[in-house]
Amino acid sequence: MDPVLVAEDVHKRYGDTAALDGVSLSVEAGEVFALVGPNGAGKTTLVRCLTGTTTPDSGTVQLLGARPAETNEQRVGLLPQDFSPPDRLTAQELVAYYAGLYDDARDADAVLSDVGLDPETDTWYGDLSGGERRRACVAAALVNDPDVLFLDEPTTAVDPAGRRALWRVFERLAADGTTIFLTTHDMAEAERLADRVALLTGGAVAATGTPRELVDAHGGPTRLVVVPATPLEPGASVDVPGFDPSVTSEGVVFAGVSPTDIGDVVAALDDAALDFEALSWREPTLEDAYLELAGDEEGVEASRAVAGADDSGDARTEGQR
Amino acid sequence: MTRLARIRAEATATYRTFLRRRTAVFFTFFFPVLLIVIFAGLVNTASGTGGLFTEPTGYYVPAYLAVVVLFTPLSRIGSTVARYRDGNRFEKLSTTPLTRGEWLAAHTLVNVALIAAACFVLLVALTLTGASFTLSPWLAVLVPAASVVFCGIGAVIGSFADGQDGAIAASNGIALPLLFLSETFIQPELFPAWFRPVVDLSPLVYFSRGVRAATYAGGDAVTNTAVVVVLAVVAFAVGTAVIPWSE
Repeated sequence: MDPVLVAEDVHKRYGDTAALDGVSLSVEAGEVFALVGPNGAGKTTLVRCLTGTTTPDSGTVQLLGARPAETNEQRVGLLPQDFSPPDRLTAQELVAYYAGLYDDARDADAVLSDVGLDPETDTWYGDLSGGERRRACVAAALVNDPDVLFLDEPTTAVDPAGRRALWRVFERLAADGTTIFLTTHDMAEAERLADRVALLTGGAVAATGTPRELVDAHGGPTRLVVVPATPLEPGASVDVPGFDPSVTSEGVVFAGVSPTDIGDVVAALDDAALDFEALSWREPTLEDAYLELAGDEEGVEASRAVAGADDSGDARTEGQR
Repeated sequence: MTRLARIRAEATATYRTFLRRRTAVFFTFFFPVLLIVIFAGLVNTASGTGGLFTEPTGYYVPAYLAVVVLFTPLSRIGSTVARYRDGNRFEKLSTTPLTRGEWLAAHTLVNVALIAAACFVLLVALTLTGASFTLSPWLAVLVPAASVVFCGIGAVIGSFADGQDGAIAASNGIALPLLFLSETFIQPELFPAWFRPVVDLSPLVYFSRGVRAATYAGGDAVTNTAVVVVLAVVAFAVGTAVIPWSE
């Protein structure tokens, strides 16, 4: 099957700044592809290149087998970043407005119902809640029933419940075969929705893979954090037979411990006469992989501190470089 | 879906949005009335009494109409273009079948309709103040054509201004000199001789000459109307070309 979206060696500069520096990627039909990266990494510029709203300085882009500017608009939907539609229209009027621009559009009321908005409400867009606004914007992007849907940070500034409601909308679209190209800062969003994730940093793709592949390759080990009853100085040595833990500000950290080993760790702590108040275990996440790849050492430490580990993470990060 | 249907969709959303902005509606229609109150009601417009605002009434009717066809589209289109760009609405629209020419046509139609309504208000106000004027069929061409001219120029201003505030400031900065240097409130004889040819550079002057020829003193309404129509075509084309539809 031919990919519906292809970028090959795309470069784009704004003055002295290289927004895109040789980006290559492809997205298959029906795939949910998430693009993550720091602010200013070039995500929105790449979306604009892919949708034809800007032209790359060099490289090629194909959308549905054609140059973006020549692609049938009927088959493409876009929710731009920081999109601010007319605020004195109701959600129904807003979606009907965009429907009126297409040859063949879905019924505005049906689209609004799909995103969980009441078509009968007479509240203007500007008076809707943040989550409702984003849903209305998503509805506007869906009104032409696109084959390829670009969502540039669709859940920014949406509360957790609203975010999950939008995720369910995107999941239904993906299940129906819509190809989704998503940019986000929310790693949980990318991990939940995306079939594949690409990390863009400094205008270049640093890694691409399924969320699982990225976590396995770059997320670091699992971590078991034990909070001792008597606080220990970070960097202190602890003798736990059979293990090689490190002591951080959060507690005693056991890296690479699987859940089935937790009982062994507890037994070893008993043997070592180390009383503890609590323990927590967690797997590495896409956020760990993101922070590792994005080169944010401070962020890596902060992320791991949340789970009660930092020293072991630093050692792994250095080891991977 | 036809081109007309797309223009209708854009125009419908635009006029709905406008009519729901009460402040914008009020001042769009109040501004020309305010001018009439000042010039037809408060200022002595009788000839021969001296002073700047003592010109023949033939300079006032074109001036009232010029205010409407100049300020409304210039500031509205200018700020609208800036608002669409800042809100990434053009980015969204560029992925739809709507073209930039259709977009400007839709917004021009809405402005022409608003200007027609404002002209009606103006005529009512003129009647109430007892001013004498002549209704001419040339106005049916001159007013819409001049509106298109300034919609096109407004699009250019909005495209190059760095935001809504900049667009409004720039449109006011351009409109005010144009208004007073285009044979509207002020007779050209009051300008120094060296400056009078400069007046011909104003697109508004052909509108005011055409309106005056058609409604007051007689004269060459045909040529001035033709110039305004040509300027409308050029301004619309240039405005369309520069709309920041994409980067």
